[in-house]
Amino acid sequence: MTANARRLSPAAVQGLVTSTEPWLSCEDCFELLDEYVEARLADPAAPAPAMDVHMAACPACAEEAASLTILVAGDDDIDPEPALRRMRSKAAEP
Amino acid sequence: MNPVRPLDQVDSGVDRASGPTEPRDWLADLTAPGRDQDRALRDLHGLMIRAARHQVWRMRPMLAGAGNDTCEELANQAADDALASLLTKVHTFRGRSRFTTWAYKFAILQAATEVRRHAWRNREVRLDDAAVWPDEHAGPEQHVEAVDLATAVGRAMVVALTGYQRRIAVALLVDGVPVDVLADRLGTTRGALYKTLYEVRTRLRRHLAGTGHLPGATEVKTR
Repeated sequence: MTANARRLSPAAVQGLVTSTEPWLSCEDCFELLDEYVEARLADPAAPAPAMDVHMAACPACAEEAASLTILVAGDDDIDPEPALRRMRSKAAEP
Repeated sequence: MNPVRPLDQVDSGVDRASGPTEPRDWLADLTAPGRDQDRALRDLHGLMIRAARHQVWRMRPMLAGAGNDTCEELANQAADDALASLLTKVHTFRGRSRFTTWAYKFAILQAATEVRRHAWRNREVRLDDAAVWPDEHAGPEQHVEAVDLATAVGRAMVVALTGYQRRIAVALLVDGVPVDVLADRLGTTRGALYKTLYEVRTRLRRHLAGTGHLPGATEVKTR
């Protein structure tokens, strides 16, 4: 190992030890994203354990899910906040 | 009573009879040569630009110093690339969502990737096998238990991970390099790096469960 040591912030620790089960790949996440977003907007509490875990562990996919949620909600003239709140709360679970 | 089907169950790809409906038959318009196809392509490109702009402006804070022209260029390039990508996959659309929602996701992915690449284009990515230790200056909210866990994680990274896994974990989770940027620099994909992170997390959790720092163990699986 090199001498370029890094400080381990609390957020980094959380990112390193977060559970990624059940497994879902980024490719499968993208495949399901449109259906997931529409279903979350229709029913924020709908079960989606693998997607929720993936969003909590993959900030890039989570950003794209939140963005798509807002865009589709705008088209439908509905409030995206309940769906986004649900996504954030699942991401914050240990 | 039928069991609830989780939203994230990857199914066999069979069309859902009760899928959402929309007034326009995009698939028919896009696949039949003629005026309808030309119009559909034009309209679809408009949707791609709209979604790409939406994404670029969401991520605008990453583009410090970039003007509106640069943002617009990024959005247009992303829209063009997303449309090309979508058209190669249009035959895979199964109607599980509206076509427009399905289409937007291509533009959002492409635009987000373009913004991350642009934001990091002049930044160095250090991919060294670094040691890590707790941030003792993280603030009073960091309790003794948290420092203890961080110390244990640092030790576990040395004994439970390979050098490659450690370098990827440090770059993505400690240095905060965006996954698409690291994938570009290494000539790999977001999915491949996420799989490496999965292995990192599984090994760390198993090790930390063994040392009593986490409650349960998980198996390392080969995927």
